[in-house]
Amino acid sequence: MLARTAEYLFWTGRYLERAEDTARLLDVTYHRLLEAVPGHEHEAWLDVLRSVGLDDEYERTGRPVTPDAVSAFLVVDPTNQGSIRQCVTQARTNARGVRELLAVELWEALNSLHLDLQARDLVRDVRLQPHELYGFIRQGVQSVIGVADGTWVRDDAWRFFMLGLLLERAEMGVRSLRIRQSHHRDDDVHEWYATLRAASALGAYRRRYGTFEGEALVELLLLSTTLPRSVLFSLRGAEQILVHLVADERSLALRLLRRLRAELEFADPAELVGPDLEATLEVIEEQIRDVADAVAAESFLYRVDLDLHELHLVPGGPGE
Amino acid sequence: MPGWFEGYELEGWFDEAVTADGGLRDHYRSVADALDELDLEALARAERRRDAAFRTQGITFTVYGDDDGTPAAGGIERTFPMDLIPRVIPADEWSFLESGLVQRVTALNRFLDDLYVGGMQIVKDGVVPRWLLISSDGFTPEAFGVPVPLGARCLVAGIDVVRDEHGSYRVLEDNLRCPSGISYVVENRAALTRVLPQLFASERVQPVDQYGSMLLHALQRVGPPAAGDSPTVVVLTPGIHNSAYFEHVFLASQMGVELVEGRDLVVEDHVVHMRTTQGLRRVDVIYRRIDDDYLDPVVFRPDSALGVPGLMAAARAGNVTIANAVGNGVADDKAVYAYVPEMIRYYLGEEPILGNVPTYLLWDPEQRELVLDRLDQLVVKPVAEAGGYGLVIGPHATDAELAEVRQQIQDDPRNYIAQELVALSRHPCLVEDHLEGRHVDFRPFVLSGQQVEVVPGGLTRVALRRGSLVVNSSQGGGSKDTWVLAPDPAVEQDLDAESEPTVVVTSGVRTPGLDADGPDPAEVADAVLGSTS
Repeated sequence: MLARTAEYLFWTGRYLERAEDTARLLDVTYHRLLEAVPGHEHEAWLDVLRSVGLDDEYERTGRPVTPDAVSAFLVVDPTNQGSIRQCVTQARTNARGVRELLAVELWEALNSLHLDLQARDLVRDVRLQPHELYGFIRQGVQSVIGVADGTWVRDDAWRFFMLGLLLERAEMGVRSLRIRQSHHRDDDVHEWYATLRAASALGAYRRRYGTFEGEALVELLLLSTTLPRSVLFSLRGAEQILVHLVADERSLALRLLRRLRAELEFADPAELVGPDLEATLEVIEEQIRDVADAVAAESFLYRVDLDLHELHLVPGGPGE
Repeated sequence: MPGWFEGYELEGWFDEAVTADGGLRDHYRSVADALDELDLEALARAERRRDAAFRTQGITFTVYGDDDGTPAAGGIERTFPMDLIPRVIPADEWSFLESGLVQRVTALNRFLDDLYVGGMQIVKDGVVPRWLLISSDGFTPEAFGVPVPLGARCLVAGIDVVRDEHGSYRVLEDNLRCPSGISYVVENRAALTRVLPQLFASERVQPVDQYGSMLLHALQRVGPPAAGDSPTVVVLTPGIHNSAYFEHVFLASQMGVELVEGRDLVVEDHVVHMRTTQGLRRVDVIYRRIDDDYLDPVVFRPDSALGVPGLMAAARAGNVTIANAVGNGVADDKAVYAYVPEMIRYYLGEEPILGNVPTYLLWDPEQRELVLDRLDQLVVKPVAEAGGYGLVIGPHATDAELAEVRQQIQDDPRNYIAQELVALSRHPCLVEDHLEGRHVDFRPFVLSGQQVEVVPGGLTRVALRRGSLVVNSSQGGGSKDTWVLAPDPAVEQDLDAESEPTVVVTSGVRTPGLDADGPDPAEVADAVLGSTS
């Protein structure tokens, strides 16, 4: 398929996933704080910004770290390319650029979500009915992904879309665990709830583990092979897709992804928890980004104005 | 419940559905009967469902520089409103139109091939003056010697047809470069069958959704010889910001081929490739929706970022076919248009089936004098513009505007033509709670591949605002589903036996030295259509 359309699809998947993850984080943070001891708010909202990687951006706006201001920034702010509305608009714009490859229902689901978000008074909804709003966004994105799952022929177009989505999900999962893990004290069960809820994992956790402990949390959110939003689960899915996408067995992206996946596959949760956990998670985050960069270098080359003959010299790609 | 057509006013116009004495035309009877089963609420519901469907599906065009504060560069997406009452063309009228369109496009293909690879026999034989062709903006020396398999230079032609006060079909304009609108033809049909399926119940409406496969078939037939039986076809778009982007997507997906932008293509050793995730892949046929000027910065505008460097050289080498062919604009020229009936006589040895709108060529002193005397009754058009740009409608123009156009004609007579105003036919449209007549035109789409064929249907554009004359989508125009009825074998013989010919053929072309009659005295209606290409 065309390199440019592959890239559009990859980013459509990423933007959609980012919109959903941001809505999940906002939802759990908001409700977690309703019952929290006053004083934690500032730090909690900063954490949300860090989890989506927009803390520096926010600081540059000079706005106060309050629930309304941060929420509005992350949901509706047109200057924030990572805001939910911008993510959905970007996903829709990218999808519009490759409409001929999308099932009609998929485009309609995405276009409807976009139009609904344009029509809603989001600034008001963030203040007055945040739970309904975040639920609406989550369901909207999930219905798009559900339609994709149920109707999209498993061609390269679908693979690039899912690859972007899964890599984004993995990266957001790692980062959010990294930011939140310091809050997981024995005496504050709400923090554990919030982390697990953001990954739709609270029920699974309760059924499998009795008490709240760091090892179990890492095992579930990072290393589970059955929880759909665990990091390893996402990376396994990404690997199965990438195998079909790369023609060259020596693909850098595939090698990096397989190595990372294998490291997690055979990791011992007991070794991971401890003072080095944050640094370890940061390394994993970087490794996921490296995979995405390698995919871009190997598959989206059209951007680079290379000499034609160089186009054939792909092995390893520019990353090596 | 009173019938929907009760109290419907003709106001003196030729109406598609109602005869001069107020009776319903036969081919509208079943639509009228089905409508009469529906009350206002049912139609209002259908309109809401239609709007929701178009919005959700994103069937839109982009408007630039709107007045609602949107930055002009980005443009905003609008839906193209479809009136619920379909236009119906009976089988006999269609077969007349079809033969006229096939004849016209066949002659235009022959003319363009003659011009660019055939040594301009038509000029040597004195039928069309050389200076006229050479002075046309659309005349493209770069296209000389560039072959087009089967001579199918107008692979897709959109011929704008209007009906005058007698109901005669006349060609208003030929669009031979990148005519758009076919996506609305197919989407309008899909929408109407969903929101008002009742209307279709007792009619034999010919389907239109085969357009994609017809187009693909035609494009595959014109592949370069080396590409064999299944050449790789792509659609080339200027990109997502183009006003017709929805249509480009539509065409690529209907054909199941890649939609590429200029930056997706590279030319090496006079062969065109597209950049894929697996490396370069050869491209054989390009259905381009980019104007000639932007196609290849090596040959045309060097500042074009939309095009593909080296594309023309690849076409000249016979390694890729560009459709529509480069240089077709010369036959779009409104002064050259006046010669199309002569082309038909010259190349085909036939009398034109479809006439032109009476046209005056202004470099001819006699015709110019005549036009300048009657400037306030005629329409003046710049020869190279589409979309109604630069159009001056005499009866509606101010004295200052008339003085200005008079000066322009005297300064550069080659650049303008004048035409009689056409009293465009009207068609019933749903306006709030009743039917009202609105002016319409019609753009059927003609494909040239192995043979020349017409999609049974077309885009009927409507000036939706009361009294408005402009059907352009950007100016409050709308559209209608257009039904071509299949011949009914059971009644066909009866029809032949009893009916008067429904179509009056007039060849109203005015070229120097031809057809010296004066124009019809102006019981001239004030309806003029601009059109988009």
